[in-house]
Amino acid sequence: MAANESIIGRTTRVRGRVTGAVDLLVLGFVDGEIVVSGDVTVDAHGLVGASVQGRRLVVRGAVKGDLVGEEAVVLEDGARVVGDVRAPRVAIAAGALVRGYVETGEGNGAPARASRSEAAARPAAQARVAPPPPKPAAKPVPAVHVAGGGGSSANNSGHGRAAAAARRPPPPVVPALKKAKGQIAKKKER
Amino acid sequence: MASTVIGAGITVEGEITTDEDVVVSGTVRGKLTAKEAVTIEHGATVEADVTGGSLVVAGSLTGNVVANERVDLQQGARVIGNVKAARVTIADGAQFKGNVDMDV
Repeated sequence: MAANESIIGRTTRVRGRVTGAVDLLVLGFVDGEIVVSGDVTVDAHGLVGASVQGRRLVVRGAVKGDLVGEEAVVLEDGARVVGDVRAPRVAIAAGALVRGYVETGEGNGAPARASRSEAAARPAAQARVAPPPPKPAAKPVPAVHVAGGGGSSANNSGHGRAAAAARRPPPPVVPALKKAKGQIAKKKER
Repeated sequence: MASTVIGAGITVEGEITTDEDVVVSGTVRGKLTAKEAVTIEHGATVEADVTGGSLVVAGSLTGNVVANERVDLQQGARVIGNVKAARVTIADGAQFKGNVDMDV
């Protein structure tokens, strides 16, 4: 095992990129990208300040960066991760702390294997692509209200509610009219 | 066993700093600074300035070397660079090109 395993020792600090085809055990500090085709273990005292890519990632220490596992990512008790996690299988044990986007399933590890060089950019791109869909879905909703005959000022006030129930445009046409009337009435009162 | 092992098949591009022993069997480019023993094994490639307590080289090293105690270039070693240490040995069969400074 030791012959085929690389170790970043407890007091060792690596500033730069670590790449290769063997297993890596991080007991110390790596301030740079890790891209290996073997397993990566970040020990309880280990600290990685950039993205980690490997076959199977086991984290007991701290990682500030994306974790991409071709087979699995296992976050054990004591793990602290700030970054996105993606692998076919992701395990987060009780006591592990994660802040970031987590995605499991086939096809998450495979792209990483196909294009290693793009992998650093890819998770960020996916993370950016993921949130927008709700917004385009929400925008058409006010248009429906306009068709229903409500005033534009009423639509603005109802926009937040309509966005929350984005998939409901047809039924609320009548309630939307009522709301619009109520809001117009309130305006008249003022 | 050494505390830090850069195994065969691993490439580190950047700076390695440590208080422990280091064994390099893979590739290191950049800078390697250790307080204890540094071993560059046969088959390893180091293109870096190396600082350590002592240094044993059996692989390929390109860069300047400073050791507090000693530098041993073993048979099969290929070193290009300046070596500064209190004691320096070059084994028969080691290739070396550079200056040697033994604080004479």
